[in-house]
Amino acid sequence: MKKPDGVILKILLVAACLLLALSSPVMAKEVKIADFAVTNNRDDLLVFFSVKGAFTREMVEAIQNGIPTTFSYFVRLEEDKILWFKKKIAAKSFTHTIKYNNMKDEYVIKRSWDADKAITTKSFEQAKSLMAEIKSFRLTDLDPLEKEHRYIIRAKAELDKVTLPFKLHYILFFTALWDFETSWHSFKFKY
Amino acid sequence: MDRKRRKREVIIIIGVVALISVLSYITVRAFGSGSQIPPANMALMFILMNINMLLLITLFFLIFRNVIKLYHERRNRVAGSKLRTKLIAAFIGLTLLPTVVLFFFSIQFITTSIEFWFKIPIEQALENSLEVGQNLYKLVEENNTFFLDKAAYQVDSRDLLAPKNRSELGNYTQVVQRAFNLNAVEFYNSNFKRLTQSVSENLKNHTFEPVDADALQKGMADSKKTWSVSEHMAGGEIIRNISAIPYGAQGPDIDGFVVISIILPPDLEKNLGSISKGFEEYQQMKMLKRPIRISYYITLSIVSLLVVFCAIWFGMYLSRNITVPIMELAEGTRRVAEGDLSYRIDVIADDEIKTLVDSFNKMTRDLRFNRKELEFSAKKLYEQNIEIEERRRYMEIVLNNVSTGVISLDSHGLITTINDSAERMLNISAEDVINKSYKHLLKEEDNALIQEIRDRFWEKREESLIKSVNMTIQGKSRSFKVTFNALKDDNGRQIGLVMVFDDMTEIEKAQRMAAWREVARRIAHEVKNPLTPISLSAQRLKRKYKSAIDDPVFDECIQTIAEHTELIRNLVNEFSTFAKFPTANPTPCELPPIVKESVALYEDGYPNIEFHTQIQDNIPMLRLDRQQIKQSLINLIDNAISSIKTKGQITVEVSCNARRDKVYLAVADTGEGISDKDKPFLFEPDFTTKKTGMGLGLAIVSTIVSDHNGRIWAADNPPRGARFVVELPVNGT
Repeated sequence: MKKPDGVILKILLVAACLLLALSSPVMAKEVKIADFAVTNNRDDLLVFFSVKGAFTREMVEAIQNGIPTTFSYFVRLEEDKILWFKKKIAAKSFTHTIKYNNMKDEYVIKRSWDADKAITTKSFEQAKSLMAEIKSFRLTDLDPLEKEHRYIIRAKAELDKVTLPFKLHYILFFTALWDFETSWHSFKFKY
Repeated sequence: MDRKRRKREVIIIIGVVALISVLSYITVRAFGSGSQIPPANMALMFILMNINMLLLITLFFLIFRNVIKLYHERRNRVAGSKLRTKLIAAFIGLTLLPTVVLFFFSIQFITTSIEFWFKIPIEQALENSLEVGQNLYKLVEENNTFFLDKAAYQVDSRDLLAPKNRSELGNYTQVVQRAFNLNAVEFYNSNFKRLTQSVSENLKNHTFEPVDADALQKGMADSKKTWSVSEHMAGGEIIRNISAIPYGAQGPDIDGFVVISIILPPDLEKNLGSISKGFEEYQQMKMLKRPIRISYYITLSIVSLLVVFCAIWFGMYLSRNITVPIMELAEGTRRVAEGDLSYRIDVIADDEIKTLVDSFNKMTRDLRFNRKELEFSAKKLYEQNIEIEERRRYMEIVLNNVSTGVISLDSHGLITTINDSAERMLNISAEDVINKSYKHLLKEEDNALIQEIRDRFWEKREESLIKSVNMTIQGKSRSFKVTFNALKDDNGRQIGLVMVFDDMTEIEKAQRMAAWREVARRIAHEVKNPLTPISLSAQRLKRKYKSAIDDPVFDECIQTIAEHTELIRNLVNEFSTFAKFPTANPTPCELPPIVKESVALYEDGYPNIEFHTQIQDNIPMLRLDRQQIKQSLINLIDNAISSIKTKGQITVEVSCNARRDKVYLAVADTGEGISDKDKPFLFEPDFTTKKTGMGLGLAIVSTIVSDHNGRIWAADNPPRGARFVVELPVNGT
């Protein structure tokens, strides 16, 4: 007779894998980084991109119900080498936070790279673009970059945190309501 | 086995710890580190969460494993699986019913509670409150817009922004501030520089920062006539409405900006904040109603599952605690039944099961001890039995080799043992008499002896008795000296009787022979002497008085005296012959010629008798006293002739046995035969069935045969007549 322990161990393994999968954030397929562009001015390397599909119906509802929502952005500059080891030149992360004021019917957006200065707008479209569009972001100065070298810029965006009333975000860990995380978007260029 | 298990447990523990660490790390990363709670606390929370999850999975694993094991056991019909299934089913049943009821009640309760939170009047009240707040801001803005319009118009029409009119602009600023009862009035040029300001008394002590260029530009970008910014100060919320000068101008037409500020008192600001926050939270709660409910349901389901699993596990644990000892007991009972008393149950318990197990172990221990004792006793008994058996066999051998016959009886008078000598003496077989009454040994005529034995031994309990018993065995009279001895145990109870048979036949015969010879010798001596004078006297009387007495009586008397004297003489001679019978002088010779010679003597003399001789071939040579054997044969033939009254046959047979160590000489006739009553006395002197003779013929034959180390016996010769058989040894011993 075959001992049932083997079967059970397999089941346990599958359960553990499921748990791991559940523990990891939900990958929202429709959220992605687009309109990626790199340019430079006299001193700095500037990055342009936007996040598409982040504002789902649930997120819009959440924002308009006054839930402060923060997007985190991660941008890395690496030397593009054939070998697996890629030298990191620069890596920056910043946040965009939006909060709706129902009393004044306006959206307050704060951006960490802009010293968290509050920008108020009554237009939700404008608020969305302020949240999801990165324009002329100073990634690094041009000193570390060498001519004729190939570089790769990788960017990623994710919903950083949502603060729910009554600390509900601590108990609702099984419901990813509007959580998102984009995959790393890579952009190669030759300097 | 234990080492393996310990190793496995260590591996499992390490695995679980690693899994918890990995899961915690992943979860912390996934949920982000920018939370309001410290990272350490958050990590701890996730560790606890994962531990809970793992515990749940472990519990599920244990239960699932046990259920599968139970299923396998049931399928393989393992002992105890049925009872375990029943117990587990009972536990599940007992737990499931209240849990399910409680679960559904809780679900209903949560649903109604959550629905209760979102009652319509609350929402309406919140919306109305918010609307009041919004209207307040709108009112402030509308008032300020009116004042801005007026102030912008005045400044533009009077060209107060011109540098030359700066003092006038200052005055006008104060006038507007005071006239409209505003908290602050400021004027900026097109380069976003504040030119003048007038603040109310309550703002005198506060630093009143100018509006930054971005705020001033914001309205320009939005193409609005008025726009506002609000700031929080110690004195409350300050709402600053801005418009371009001239009012509603755009882009390059803008000459400057007018900013009118109204301060909302702290209480009002706080209340408005509370209204805003309350409405926000209400809306958020409304939005999260379903997820909260789902999370409650999930939590409740997990708790319920945990309860059910715990109950199942507890049921399994309890059932194992019950069934394992029972199965062990069953196994133990089976093993004990098979004779394995070394079986011991090792079940750790502290209840009645322990008592039962201890009792079982004590029982097996006692049984083992008793069996050892029994084995020891059996061994001893076996040894004793062997000894007894050896002694018995020795006794049997002794008894079977003693010449005396020994027969033992039990307390009921049944024969228990009989030795070979007794079998031979009494011509009986042990199988025929064992467990039969001693009365079977004795004939009907011995009733007196039977009665005497019963009286003496079973009634009077006497110790011993010696009796002479005459029996006819195979037609031959045998004389036994029987010694009866009571068998008694140590307590003096009679347990039987021993009968010892001594065959006195030959001794008595020899004694009788000796006595007869002595008598014969004396008679021959004492009687023969007077016979001669009697005979001579009779002859003298005859001679002397023959002439004188002419009386026939005288002659008759004298004749009678002479005849009877002769008769007595013959008798005396016969006695003399018997008394002086010479001892045999055997020499090697053949028996058949002797037989032929002897028969030849009679063949012609008795025409009414047929004589037959049947002589087997190859009769071995014997050591015989030819004359004596011939004499004995003649005696036997004489007796046979005498027994035939009219016509008959006499057959003389000579044969030898298969081993050729014994030769048989038989004389058989078809005469009157011998009665059983006479058979014992045939070879005794003075026994005769004839009218004349002293009965010494067969006694002489018997003596001759004995002298030749042989035997003689008489038997019936069916259908009629007698048969005398002489057995002679070939080697003469």
